[in-house]
Amino acid sequence: MEIIERIKTNKLFSNPTEIQKLCLKKLQSNPLPNLKSELWRLSNKSKFSNFLDFSLNGSSTNFEFPYHNNSQNIIRLIIGENSPINRSSEDYCINELNNEELIAYIKQNLSSFDQNENWSELLNLCLTFEQNILGLRIKGTKIPPLEILSHATNDSINAKTLILIVEKNCNLDLLQITLGTENSALSQSTYLCLEENSFVNHGMVAYGENKSNLLNSLNVIQQRNSEYNLGSLHFKFNYARFEIRIKQSSGNARTNIKGMQITKNDEQIATYTKIEFNGPNGSLDQINKSLADDKSHAIFEGSIIVPKIAQKTDASQLSRNLLLSNHAQIDTKPQLEIIADDVKCKHGATISQLNEEELFYMRSRGLTLAEASKLQLGSFFKEIISFIPVPKGRWDLLNKLLKQD
Amino acid sequence: MTKSNPILEVNNLLASTEDLPILKGVSITVYPGEIHAIMGRNGCGKSTLSKIIAGHPSYNITEGEINFLGKNINSLEPEERAQSGIFLGFQYPIEIPGVSNLEFLRVSTNARRKFLKKEELDTFDFEDLVKEKLEIVKMDSAFLSRSVNQGFSGGEKKRNEILQMALLEPKIAILDETDSGLDIDALRIVASGIKQIANNKTGIILITHYQRLLDEIKPDYVHVMSDGQIIKTGGSNLALELEKKGYEWTDNFIKEK
Repeated sequence: MEIIERIKTNKLFSNPTEIQKLCLKKLQSNPLPNLKSELWRLSNKSKFSNFLDFSLNGSSTNFEFPYHNNSQNIIRLIIGENSPINRSSEDYCINELNNEELIAYIKQNLSSFDQNENWSELLNLCLTFEQNILGLRIKGTKIPPLEILSHATNDSINAKTLILIVEKNCNLDLLQITLGTENSALSQSTYLCLEENSFVNHGMVAYGENKSNLLNSLNVIQQRNSEYNLGSLHFKFNYARFEIRIKQSSGNARTNIKGMQITKNDEQIATYTKIEFNGPNGSLDQINKSLADDKSHAIFEGSIIVPKIAQKTDASQLSRNLLLSNHAQIDTKPQLEIIADDVKCKHGATISQLNEEELFYMRSRGLTLAEASKLQLGSFFKEIISFIPVPKGRWDLLNKLLKQD
Repeated sequence: MTKSNPILEVNNLLASTEDLPILKGVSITVYPGEIHAIMGRNGCGKSTLSKIIAGHPSYNITEGEINFLGKNINSLEPEERAQSGIFLGFQYPIEIPGVSNLEFLRVSTNARRKFLKKEELDTFDFEDLVKEKLEIVKMDSAFLSRSVNQGFSGGEKKRNEILQMALLEPKIAILDETDSGLDIDALRIVASGIKQIANNKTGIILITHYQRLLDEIKPDYVHVMSDGQIIKTGGSNLALELEKKGYEWTDNFIKEK
């Protein structure tokens, strides 16, 4: 694990930034997560160590969005590209955070980071070159949809960091696209702060190519009366971890999550979510779907934390899984940690195969087994895809999924 | 008058599921234009027979054969049977969440049309066709935009089955308890739909418990099934007699056998 050796021996950079120094300090004595802990025990060890064997690369090759932009109204940014970012109009304003603001924001987060639980974020901040950190402050109304692309680079490990501060009363559609390339490792961390009364529709679509690897973490802070909707999709990664941590800082906020991961061949994709209610009257509606084929492995672990202060919390977490092969594996563990006594919380998990009776019904109407399976899978995907703020028509994700081999 | 070739011939069919024998030698022959009714107690094998003819993968044929239009179809896939003109109206039509009824109907209609070497229909042409067929079962076009059978009442599900039958124009339709769960008006609509679709070239097998469907659609033959076999065959009067005397009366036929 080349990266770990270099962290240990302090040979990662000749001239580390202040943030890198802080994170290196947190990792140096203990540079690996506890692989026996709940968060890591199911992670494929050899795939994980392979992730850390790539050599570090901070430069960016030219990369394009996977579909064309036919609308003037969309703002597109690529992390790592030095394009002008500041935009403003009568109604809104998008400004790049300056260095001091970035450092202050990251430091604030770092203070609460745990070496094991936030290992992915710490590694990301250690590895991210300055030009690969994008920080934005967004204010105003009628903000155009924002599309942000980050991508890996062949034969190397790359790190990208995105920080978005969405100010009071904002209403934002954000689509984040993460692309893996052949034989690559990408570490990506996203920090979102939703200030009071703001509303964010967030889409996170990540897919790779042959032997793509991804460590993707998402940290969201929701202030009161904010609403955060996340639709996420991860597929075609040799190894991927998606870690979601959402904190309703004083309750009284709404969180809706619909996520999906699709694994084939011998891939492993895992989603870990931790939703914390730090005040009363918060709500959560979460569904996570996994679809595992061939010899692949899909993992979901979700936890909902409801401390005493979070009375009247209304939370629901559901894990729905489809096993398409006898050799595929699905692990799912939705869990609740409730101290408050006046709450409504439910969770559940199902693992099933394609429904035989539904298939027979469709076949008895002349549809082939392949067509019937495709319709069934389409319906399994649709609930998630329709939740992602994707420009339909320009990028037909559903077709992309159904056509992939 | 000489009869034309049969549409369906089931010869001494034995079938089982998970090594449990269900059909123990069933024979039935349906000629064009004929309507057959199969009656019998719950669990006697009526539904199984219909599923086996449609090719349900959970059942194994251990002996005997099913011939459709003169060809043995024992080893055909369910979709091949459907495309070639076998239609099964389900006793409990399956709900398929997330799959649009309109799209499902279009794909299945086109599968049949492709087999018949007819031009496949695009969305617009199909909508014209389906609207015409909706009239037959007096369904509102709002049903088309919903998921297949999801949230449909019992009667709506059965009407959706007959709509599918109208679109697929099968050579033989096996309707498994299409009358169960229907109120009087819905029963009339469904029965009238079946009568409109049936013609002198198609065959129909009605699986039912009740005389009331047979009051609407008069069968040419009535078969009584018990324990995986047909124990008596007669004309439409047999159903009336059965209604009066109950299945205990038919138990005597088993004893005689």
